[in-house]
Amino acid sequence: MKKTIGLIVNPVAGMGGSVGVKGTDGEMHQRALELGAKPVTPKRTRDTLSHLTCQDSITFLAAPDQMGAAYLEEIDVPVTVIGAIGEETSAQDTKQIAQAMVDEDVDLLIFVGGDGTARDIHDAVGTSLPVVGVPAGVKVFSAAFALSARAAAEMVDAFVAGSTLTEEDVLDIDEEAFREDVLSSKLYGTLLVPEVRSFLQPAKAASNVSVPSEQVKQDIARFVVEKMEPATLYLLGPGTTVRAITDEMGVSKTLLGVDAVQGAALVGEDVNEQAILRLFETYDDRKIVVTPIGGNGFIFGRGSKQFTPTVIRAVGRENVMIVGTRDKVTQLDCLRVDTGDRTLDETLAGYMKVTVGYREGMMVKVRC
Amino acid sequence: MLKRPIRLDMNEDPFLPPANVIAAARKGLSRLNRYADAEDLAQLRRLLADYAGVDDRRVVLGPGSEILLREMIHAFAGKRKVVMLSPSFLPVVEVARETAASWTGLRLSPPGFELQPDILLAETQGPCLVIIDSPNNPTGHLMLERQTVRALVENEEALLVIDEAYEEFARMHGADEEAPDNSFIDLVEDYANLAVTRTLDKAFGLAGARVGYAAIGEAFRSVFASFYPLLPQPSLGAALEALEHPAYVEQHVSRLIEERERLRQALQEAEARVYASHANFLLVRSRAPDMAARLRDEGVLVSDVSNQLPPGFIRVSVGTRRENDAFLAAYGRIMEDVH
Repeated sequence: MKKTIGLIVNPVAGMGGSVGVKGTDGEMHQRALELGAKPVTPKRTRDTLSHLTCQDSITFLAAPDQMGAAYLEEIDVPVTVIGAIGEETSAQDTKQIAQAMVDEDVDLLIFVGGDGTARDIHDAVGTSLPVVGVPAGVKVFSAAFALSARAAAEMVDAFVAGSTLTEEDVLDIDEEAFREDVLSSKLYGTLLVPEVRSFLQPAKAASNVSVPSEQVKQDIARFVVEKMEPATLYLLGPGTTVRAITDEMGVSKTLLGVDAVQGAALVGEDVNEQAILRLFETYDDRKIVVTPIGGNGFIFGRGSKQFTPTVIRAVGRENVMIVGTRDKVTQLDCLRVDTGDRTLDETLAGYMKVTVGYREGMMVKVRC
Repeated sequence: MLKRPIRLDMNEDPFLPPANVIAAARKGLSRLNRYADAEDLAQLRRLLADYAGVDDRRVVLGPGSEILLREMIHAFAGKRKVVMLSPSFLPVVEVARETAASWTGLRLSPPGFELQPDILLAETQGPCLVIIDSPNNPTGHLMLERQTVRALVENEEALLVIDEAYEEFARMHGADEEAPDNSFIDLVEDYANLAVTRTLDKAFGLAGARVGYAAIGEAFRSVFASFYPLLPQPSLGAALEALEHPAYVEQHVSRLIEERERLRQALQEAEARVYASHANFLLVRSRAPDMAARLRDEGVLVSDVSNQLPPGFIRVSVGTRRENDAFLAAYGRIMEDVH
């Protein structure tokens, strides 16, 4: 049976790159235009569509004109246009059309853009619908994106062939800070994406049978829970890998926040620094469990309202547990810390163990 | 007939072994109805022992060194922690992960890919099986120093296996340079808990014959007590002939090192990040995250190491000059498209 697939292109994404403007959020789009920026998304969109091998198995819906439909029409692929746009497009157009695609019951949504576009898509569809992100931003940090236009096409093909799905991070990059060369990123949410690793592999694959990411997260969680000490307070950081731990324990988790557990019980939900310090008055034995965020490997980033330098110091380096799937860890150059406290960062630097599976760990360099 | 792709993905020797070696392999075909002769196998062990500078009683044979590594993993990993490098030779990593009581990967981070001796020694206390490839695949770096190896095997509960598949390329790395610690096979005589694996697949140009060997300390003896490596007759014939007349190996290796350095310089000029190598391949980082797939479209196969390293890394085996030029041309075309 044919799959119904939606296409939304953010025409202004990535335009800042060629003129040295980092990101096109807000007024920076106009600034990029003034500097003679060229659109990036047409090539990426065309590349993706040209690499699809399963076009005959797809019924396309698309946003109007340069937000999608134009690219399908130019290669004579029948398309149903969803929504209406003005001369200048906005984040609101992306959100409204994505929502309309959900109402049209699309099976998968392809979007072309950067981290900002991914956040818009997340706001509109959450994890209710699988998506494929084609990277076309100035800097694309969110792991929810495919690595390239070609890889995006492979993900669509994999989806049509029945691949498994996994949740990947969408990051909230502070563009203002990024322009100052400070990478301040935090987890914004997750998107549901087809898992290509289990479907497509080069000639010498990792193994004959690749284990889906969600299974690996469960394995990590099972190992961590088995090792948990009953009297110790565990502060569980953001992310789906850490959420798998609370799933294993049978307690709820704030995906983007920090929760505190002790024994098998939740003792603090979505706690901030003050709440954590109050918990420390009760618990002498403390551990932090974190996962590296997105594609840049931060375990402790600047601006965290929970894991502040005071909190990290009170827990101690030796009580920081890092978890992450092996696939995710191997995609990183290293782990990073930037707490805003240089002395603490230097204490955290060096090698730390990351739990990457059941009884599987990796010693990874932490840089600051 | 379809045009065959250029294969720079398996770290093979692009040159055929000399005619006498091929003739010996062919002669083996005339004995295809028979298993390998015990005396021929013993002779091969003696020749390998001479070549490697160890006692022939320490040498075991196998159809490729990977099989010997697998045997050791199956024998020891079930009740031990296994410590390996990450990245490393992937088939061995995978079998170790599946078999080990617990598995620890020591992550080699770009750009230096260094292995810190203190981290290695801290992670190898107590009973463990440590497998380290040096030169490492896919980085091409030498990973160990003699004092680190000695310190590790002083822990009698540790078993250390060093995979020296690319040893000849490290050994013949230019006479003027300060000799690095490229091999530890001599230490097998001193330490019962040390084994070194090697192969004729690479520098000897016999990948199609699949002849591997290991020099083992006493602690590994039991693994191979019931291991009968009845090598195929053509492989056995080729290996015996190659070891009796090994002068060609140095010629092949010298040519490949020269070609490797030419390739490295050309890639640097093409603004690729390319890392110093002690093997017959180069690790390259490009700005195209799907470089391996793009090269495949251009008819050039390279190893996609994106399952062990961040996007943009490929491992390129050094081929003939013509093959390398074809790769460089394809690489250039792709980078123009990426710009």
